[in-house]
Amino acid sequence: MESRLLKPALAVYLGLFLLFLYGPMIVMAILSFQGPTGGPQFPIVEWSTYWYQHLFGQISGSRVSQLPVGESLIRSLVLAVMTTIVSTVLGVMAAQAFRTRFAGSGPIFYLFVLGMIVPGVLVGLGMALLSNMLGIDRAWWSTSFVLHVVYTFPFAFLVMLAIFNRFDRSVEEASLSLGVSPAETFRRVTFPMIFPGVLSAMLFSFTLSYDEFSRTLFTSGPRLTLPLSIYGTFSVEIYPNVFAFGVLTTVFSFTLLAIYGLLMMRSVARNNQQFKGQEA
Amino acid sequence: MHDLELIRVGKTYPDGTVAVSEFDLQVSPGEFVAFVGPSGCGKSTTLRMVAGFEAITHGDIIIKGKNVSAIPAEKRPTSMIFQNYALFPHMNVRDNIAFGLDVKGVPRKERDAKVDRILDMFDLSQFADRKADRLSGGQRQRIALARGLVVEPEILLLDEPLGALDANLRRVIQNELKLLQRELGITFVFVTHAQDEALGLSDRVIVMNNGQVEQIGRPEEIYGSPMTEFVARFIGANAIFEGRDLERAATGHSVLTDHGRIAGHASSDLGGGGGIIAAVPAEAISIGPRTRDESVPNRIHGTIATKHRIGSICRFKVSLSNGQAIDVETASRDPHLMALAVGDHVDLDCPPERVSLLPTRP
Ligand SMILES: Nc1ncnc2c1ncn2[C@@H]1O[C@H](COP(=O)(O)OP(=O)(O)O)[C@@H](O)[C@H]1O
Ligand SMILES: [Mg+2]
Repeated sequence: MESRLLKPALAVYLGLFLLFLYGPMIVMAILSFQGPTGGPQFPIVEWSTYWYQHLFGQISGSRVSQLPVGESLIRSLVLAVMTTIVSTVLGVMAAQAFRTRFAGSGPIFYLFVLGMIVPGVLVGLGMALLSNMLGIDRAWWSTSFVLHVVYTFPFAFLVMLAIFNRFDRSVEEASLSLGVSPAETFRRVTFPMIFPGVLSAMLFSFTLSYDEFSRTLFTSGPRLTLPLSIYGTFSVEIYPNVFAFGVLTTVFSFTLLAIYGLLMMRSVARNNQQFKGQEA
Repeated sequence: MHDLELIRVGKTYPDGTVAVSEFDLQVSPGEFVAFVGPSGCGKSTTLRMVAGFEAITHGDIIIKGKNVSAIPAEKRPTSMIFQNYALFPHMNVRDNIAFGLDVKGVPRKERDAKVDRILDMFDLSQFADRKADRLSGGQRQRIALARGLVVEPEILLLDEPLGALDANLRRVIQNELKLLQRELGITFVFVTHAQDEALGLSDRVIVMNNGQVEQIGRPEEIYGSPMTEFVARFIGANAIFEGRDLERAATGHSVLTDHGRIAGHASSDLGGGGGIIAAVPAEAISIGPRTRDESVPNRIHGTIATKHRIGSICRFKVSLSNGQAIDVETASRDPHLMALAVGDHVDLDCPPERVSLLPTRP
């Protein structure tokens, strides 16, 4: 009786979940193919790729000005790459340090993780005040970058901590006892074994930094990152070119995810496949 | 010169656990020694201090005359074999074995020759290109042994290397280990919690309890003349009688037990004021039908509780007057003894020269 009720209930739940997850994206995708005279809502007056052309500056003499995203897109990508590298390296190093309990490791753990818990608006505002007091100019590559690392580092750290939790230390000890130095052991034994985890930490850092809003809002100075400049266009009037851009960034995100999946599959397969033929 | 020397070695973990204390040991070149003791008695900790994985809190460890106490694991001439094999999962069998030589920068030709030779020796050649986790436990432990030996260590350290294998395979690899050690002449330090494995494999056994050495000796010494109550009870094949009222005589000592006076030899001081036990190896006890002859020394009366005949041997469980039960093993060829049945009254004879009198801890 339980399962006769439970199964349909779960199915409805899943349906709603998928609807809310993908619904906005699908609506946005449909509206991005609106004709030149249509607005950012239904009905679709006419199907066209007009707003995509508009986005790339192919339409001349439009009454709507081009979406100012070119430079901010570059900034956001550079910032996300910088953040990914620094956060992942720090995350791996910190998690490695936490493999042995040291004096004060408990409080330090919470200090590390705090960065992902405190509200972004507060941290952003605090950073803005601090840089004012110290007379430092705010910029996306300095003040914002620091906050992006503070924000994404705990995620990378926690991912690596979980990986090391399941890591068998005796494999490293075996390497040491063969006369291999700790540095070489890390490079040739530990790192290849934790690589899938490193990949996940990188993905987290990248996506979190790429669409970070509140921390960047107060600290980026005059040159905006992508989420800020998109938000800026809303304050004027919304045209379907924003949707066209949204579709393109989503495609980009999925590409990133696909690359992650491929790399992951390759590194898992490298550990598992091998000479299935001999087994038969 | 000794290959390995432990001088009053002790280990206290940061949480205050005293895992090992006052550990003294000298191992000669080419010797096969085994640490044996119950789980948690400090065997692994001691072995890991020799390997360099745990810092030493007291004392010194000397390998080939050189004090290695402050030298990191990778600079010590030891190789460690683990219970869980600890193979590199991202490398195939050949790369696992070649790893140590590869990192050391041994020229390719020489490396390949050495790896091929050891692959052959361990019967692993046909698996050389496979991933290790596709192989059976026995094969994996052979890979681990090959990997540890190819770098030519002075001492091979083995921490319960057969613990994850089933009984049959364990016997096979035990034999291989013994042969291998003879052939290579490398010093082996072997850790196990199974007394039969320790007694069967090694030249010398170190029985440990509670982080301390209870007795060091050749297997037959440990088995035949345990020095402490712990050793007598741990080496499970002993019948043990609680005694009191020690009588000293020039020919030997004796104690009064529930089964009468039992004579034996004392290898340690019995004057400590605690109790005394008499320990007899099971195979030294002989069984026979009850007679009226009371002149034989160390004769104990009992009743057969169970009888199991397994091929060429027969196992009796004999219950004594105080409720204690004793296992006795005989050859099943003797028709006289095979006539004994459950419920029969029997005499058990414990030859005095095989009886150890030991003080119990107060
Ligand atoms: N890293 C550690 N920290 C604290 N105590 C430990 C640690 N490792 C082992 N111990 C303790 O030290 C004692 C000896 O352990 P161990 O050497 O592993 O015993 P064995 O190998 O004989 O089973 C045990 O009481 C164990 O709980
Ligand atoms: Mg152990």
